[in-house]
Amino acid sequence: MEKKGWDGFEIGAMLRSFDGATRDIATTLPEDRPYSQSNSFTASVADWRIEKPLFNKDYCIDCQFCWVYCPDMSIISRDKKMVGIDFDHCKGCGICVEVCPTNPKSLLMFAEQQDEESAIAEWPKKDTSKAKEEAKDE
Amino acid sequence: MLEIRWHSRAGQGAVTGAKGLADVVSTTGKHVQAFAFYGSAKRGAAMTAYNRVDDKIIMNHEKFMRPDYVLVIDPALVYVADITANEKDSTVYIVTTHMSTEELIASQPKLEGKKVYTVDCIKISQETIGKAIPNTPMLGALMKVSGMYEMDFFKENMVRVLKKLPQKIIDANMIAIQRAYDEVK
Amino acid sequence: MADTMELRDIEVWDGNMAASQALRQVQVDVVAAYPITPSTPIVENYGNFTANGYVDGEFVMTESEHGAMSCCIGAAAAGGRVATATSSQGFALMVETLYSASGMRLPIVLNVVNRAIGAPLNVNGDHSDMYMGRDSGWIQLDAYCPQNAYDLNFIAFKVSEDHDVRLPAMVHQDGFMTSHTAQGVATLPDDVAYNFVGEYKPMNDMLDLDHPVTHGVQTEEDWHFEHKARQQHALMTAVIPKIEAAFDEFEKLTGRRYNLVEAYNMEDAEVAVVCMGTSVETAREVAEEMRAQHGIKAGVVGIRVFRPWPLEQIAAALKDVKAIGALDRSSPHGTVGALFNEISGSLFNTDTKAVLTNYIYGLGGRDLTKAHLVSIFTDLKANADAGKPTTPLQQYIGLRGPKLSFF
Repeated sequence: MEKKGWDGFEIGAMLRSFDGATRDIATTLPEDRPYSQSNSFTASVADWRIEKPLFNKDYCIDCQFCWVYCPDMSIISRDKKMVGIDFDHCKGCGICVEVCPTNPKSLLMFAEQQDEESAIAEWPKKDTSKAKEEAKDE
Repeated sequence: MLEIRWHSRAGQGAVTGAKGLADVVSTTGKHVQAFAFYGSAKRGAAMTAYNRVDDKIIMNHEKFMRPDYVLVIDPALVYVADITANEKDSTVYIVTTHMSTEELIASQPKLEGKKVYTVDCIKISQETIGKAIPNTPMLGALMKVSGMYEMDFFKENMVRVLKKLPQKIIDANMIAIQRAYDEVK
Repeated sequence: MADTMELRDIEVWDGNMAASQALRQVQVDVVAAYPITPSTPIVENYGNFTANGYVDGEFVMTESEHGAMSCCIGAAAAGGRVATATSSQGFALMVETLYSASGMRLPIVLNVVNRAIGAPLNVNGDHSDMYMGRDSGWIQLDAYCPQNAYDLNFIAFKVSEDHDVRLPAMVHQDGFMTSHTAQGVATLPDDVAYNFVGEYKPMNDMLDLDHPVTHGVQTEEDWHFEHKARQQHALMTAVIPKIEAAFDEFEKLTGRRYNLVEAYNMEDAEVAVVCMGTSVETAREVAEEMRAQHGIKAGVVGIRVFRPWPLEQIAAALKDVKAIGALDRSSPHGTVGALFNEISGSLFNTDTKAVLTNYIYGLGGRDLTKAHLVSIFTDLKANADAGKPTTPLQQYIGLRGPKLSFF
């Protein structure tokens, strides 16, 4: 990526998304795109987070709700399979956790410093009381 | 510098007449100007249009004019508009009316002692074009009174000016121009 | 491919037709407009030309002038040759977007048919709208007659679209006095006119899909100042040489000479008026008469390029006169007229001792007669002889009732 100073930008405050020409950008994975400095993809907001979402693939049904609802496009999905979280752009808002429909949830918020292994180890079990309530409603 | 003032009602074609005249005069290499003062911009409202013609480029853009010719294409404007405004001793009036020149002057005494010609452009346009559009016949009358151009040359150029109209209407206009040329007194 | 229109060498056109024929000849891609008197026929004629196959372009009818200029901005950012026209209240509604167009460095040509701004409502010509645009970052060219309105459109496209400039341009003409006054206009054949301006060369266009760009960004305190300074730098340094080059090339092509500042009878002038629009031509005629009939060495300075303001050229044109009248066709509302201010600023650090006075005239289309100009030149002669103002600094000309003056 080309680095530009305050006097390095073009007239009209016009910003380029990529360095150089691009072809078939829609079929190029984000990590392979030549994003320019002025594209927000190159800026990390990781330090904005107080809490982070962690992903437990054992419960995920690949419904893609988290991918649809994430306001920062930070859910990494490949071939409609949830892969993980882009922690450079996730601000820790928790919307992915809120919309996750599984029981227990496949995404949960943890303290920023918590490691993934211990988080998976303490992941809650299926909430049976909630399942009973649902049955009653029917 | 030749200066002409038209008195008309919005919709009677004074602007088209003034621009048409300018177009024809321009083909002879002279410099021209045609403009209008609309006042209240409503159809039927009294308005004035103007022509300037000169051998050199016209730079004067004032609306004020001491006209050589005053062309009145609506009969009632003789009484309600100030048709003698800023006149000169030599100003020539051509007025659309069903009256004779003597009758017209009797009905509008301020034309007394002036060079006044009359022609019924309203009737002529109704009988030829089919509606009261007195602008082109007035130009026919002006050609006769001023001796500005030969009728053949003038009509030939007016055909070009009116070229977007249907052929039937163009033909009717040519008859109207010729009639006014013949009938103006 | 658009059809060619056969034109006579001299066509009797009013200023509106002259401007719209220029838009046709340079094959404007997009005209987005909300028509308003007296500029309506410009966009109406373009729509007609487009519908009849004489332009390969799009006429977009918008919901307001704000929408019209916004649409022009979008079309220009997309990479098209873009133009529109407006007047008066419509111009006022467009103002917000004018700043966007210039700040985004989009070469749009706006024909402004100058008209009074109400209240009271008035459709006739004065320079209120032109003055309102003077801080908007646009190039402003001023036509004095229909021929100028035709010619200056070509200049506007050529300069505005230059990649060293990339700033939008207005071509001003006086409402009715030029826009609805038919005069002989020497025409260019379609191919000659088109080739003078040349094919549009897009820059950072959004339709270049291999180079995606964002237009219309937010900058805030850490970027805004540098971007605005850069815009001013382009307007102040790049535009004038490009206009001069375009004027030179246009003269070679047509024999018609334009200058940043039009100086008439100024070589030996003792008194001069400075004005814009049709008044320049009327004043030229009166200046000749002042010399022939009154023995007053009168001259006229016409502003051809209002923005960027040609400060040095104005100062040079006025350096030897003893008295100057700045004629403003706009109510300054609370101060001296804009031309008085600009000329003061242009002369202040020079050696001139000229007496400068200000005349407000022609508001709402009020006729500027030759008699008015005679009285102004007579005032100026008295100022020149006295070496100081013999009249108030600001006088109203052509106003009924008791004489109105200030300062």
